[in-house]
Amino acid sequence: MFRARIHLTMAVAALVGLVASAGATAAAKPTVTIGNKNFTEEFVLGQLYKQALEAKGYKVLFKGSIGSSELIDAALTSGKINFYPEYTGVIVADIAKQKAPQTAAATYAAAKRFEETRGATLFSATPFYDTDSFGMLTSTAQKLGVKTIGDMKKVKSFTFAGFPECRTRITCLLGLKQVYGLTQAKFVPLASISVYTLLDEGKTTAADVFSTDPQLQGSKYTVLTDTKHVFGFQNVAPVVSKSLASAGGAAFAQIVDAVSAKLTLAAMRAMNKAVAIDKQSPAAVAGTFLKANHLK
Amino acid sequence: MIAAGGPVIPNFGQGSACERSNGWFCTDWLHAHWGDTLQPALVQHVWLSALAVGIGFAIAFALALVGFRHRLFDAGIGALADFLYTIPSLALFQLLVPFTGLTVTTVEIALVSYTLLVLYRNMAEGLRGVPADVLEAARGMGLTRTQTFLRVELPLALPAILAGLRIATVSTISVATVAAFVIPEGLGAPIFIALDQNLFKTEIVAAGGLAVALALFADGLLVLGQRAATPWSRA
Amino acid sequence: MTVAEAFTPHTFLDAFGFIHHNASFLLQKTAEHLELSLAALAIALLLALPLGLWLGHRHRGLFLAVSVSSVGRALPSVALIAFGLTIFGVGFWNNTAALVVLAIPPILTNAYFAVDGVDADVVEAARGMGLSEWQILRRIELPLGLPLVVAGIRIAAIFVIATATIAAVAGGGGLGEIIVDQASYGLAGVIAGSLCVSALALLAALLLSLTLRALTPRQGPVS
Repeated sequence: MFRARIHLTMAVAALVGLVASAGATAAAKPTVTIGNKNFTEEFVLGQLYKQALEAKGYKVLFKGSIGSSELIDAALTSGKINFYPEYTGVIVADIAKQKAPQTAAATYAAAKRFEETRGATLFSATPFYDTDSFGMLTSTAQKLGVKTIGDMKKVKSFTFAGFPECRTRITCLLGLKQVYGLTQAKFVPLASISVYTLLDEGKTTAADVFSTDPQLQGSKYTVLTDTKHVFGFQNVAPVVSKSLASAGGAAFAQIVDAVSAKLTLAAMRAMNKAVAIDKQSPAAVAGTFLKANHLK
Repeated sequence: MIAAGGPVIPNFGQGSACERSNGWFCTDWLHAHWGDTLQPALVQHVWLSALAVGIGFAIAFALALVGFRHRLFDAGIGALADFLYTIPSLALFQLLVPFTGLTVTTVEIALVSYTLLVLYRNMAEGLRGVPADVLEAARGMGLTRTQTFLRVELPLALPAILAGLRIATVSTISVATVAAFVIPEGLGAPIFIALDQNLFKTEIVAAGGLAVALALFADGLLVLGQRAATPWSRA
Repeated sequence: MTVAEAFTPHTFLDAFGFIHHNASFLLQKTAEHLELSLAALAIALLLALPLGLWLGHRHRGLFLAVSVSSVGRALPSVALIAFGLTIFGVGFWNNTAALVVLAIPPILTNAYFAVDGVDADVVEAARGMGLSEWQILRRIELPLGLPLVVAGIRIAAIFVIATATIAAVAGGGGLGEIIVDQASYGLAGVIAGSLCVSALALLAALLLSLTLRALTPRQGPVS
């Protein structure tokens, strides 16, 4: 009876923590509701943080595959999730709609300042960055004779494929049109299929690729140089709601930061490759990585 | 590869030749991922569908009990069910998210809404289709209202009710694949993931095939149930 | 300021504002949607209608008609669209083929039962009068079975229009493109797109009902 009472109290505390995102009692660990966006790298990131926290005794609710930054940000501010991995440049340029800073550190600082005005905070950033890039088939690049994004000005008309939110982002299509003056670009929005499918089938001239995509390792695809830094600096940093951060305290932050610190470019590329090319599950890949680094 | 202070990057192993070249039916992938991807998705899908049909059945039945005798009520419920049915599933899921979040509840509310049309109409039709003289005869035999309902009306309406249940079940299993657009549950989830991974054929074939098989299986089961419950009518 | 807002009662009104401000865009997307739906429906009619009518006339292939109906209903649209993608790649045919597969069952099954169910005595009488098989089908069975045939086409049409929405995930364009893209168009856009799809489906149903009424000869005095 007494034990049942304790279990009931803990369950209610966890429930309150979840529903109100308010801090639970100082002794109990807060429930973490993790969300992630809907592409390979985010699946892996979501799993990494989820499994690392679970290994240290945290209860984690996982809301995988939410969608674009705009949607997942709305999920955070409305309390549906309290933790998700985000790209610093996207926060600054696309959510805060501020002018993109010129260094990675400045981008992180600006992103953190912004999130703190809306009930959230940023934990430490990862060493790796993943910027959108202007990609195309190498054969296309050779045919058009282009090496930098600026070179595309001489192409009379071309299509550019990407996630729908790319259309209105200054770190994506909008930047291409306004900063590079590529007004002749025609946008092809994607819903669920990958840009590489469209590139392979010749359905688009160029596409918004991610710099950590394993497909870019070979020579089939080429990335044009972004001389004007339109695509910004995109290190990953977990966006955490203030209530979760204060409830979790230093112990919580330490666990998360320990994971982030291990995510170098090489590590991320290897994990993305294991999922996208070798068809392993994000959960398994994340688990293997955490175990190898004694985080699980 | 170990750098000073850097991470240990384990060897994740290479995918088989079949996986790397995007084959149609890579048995090694299926074997490796049945337990962590396909089976959980299948179980989730069964649960999502069964729950929706069960709740829809209960609601539709309750409504039909009232609706089959009151014309105005019937028209109203019928119109509502009709309207719900025309809302594209993709839209309905998204519209519910702000209310019920990114949860199974959201998906269930939508799935239940879609079952209401078929279930309600069939039930109301079935109950209405009981001939008046049969009811007269029952009353003449001295049966109470409840007895008439349980022993005469319900059995006679059963074929229509079961036909509706069959259609509702199969279409729910189908719409449940769209649910993966908002929450990563059910057989739609591996399909959407595979679409994003440069059309990974094996996963699409496996998950899609399982969805089709599940629907056919459920349909077959219900046909047998129909035959067992109403041996006097051919399904 | 984020693109996706929480749902307030005002969002529904915003949807109408969206329609007002993006009328030409919505019209373009509706046209795309219609194009895909009509193409699929036309092909399905071409394949299934003659077959169903003929089989029903000959009273053959009951098993086929019933099985096609059962199997057809069981095909999850997402799976079909994914299959279509893997077979045909991205383009016009992957979605059209998937929609054709979905549209065939109701057309085939209803056509079969419509003709098969015509009173055998009437058909016999006609045969006795010396009408050819083709004449029997055209002048007796088809007119009598028309309501059921049109009901099947109506089911297929509504199903195709609704499923064409999902085709947007495979590059199908149309109104689905708005509905899957809450990030760009907001919930208001999703509602607006959804309203347009519903309107299209209702319009198709209405058109078919009117067609049925026009094709059915009126009997007795018009009240």
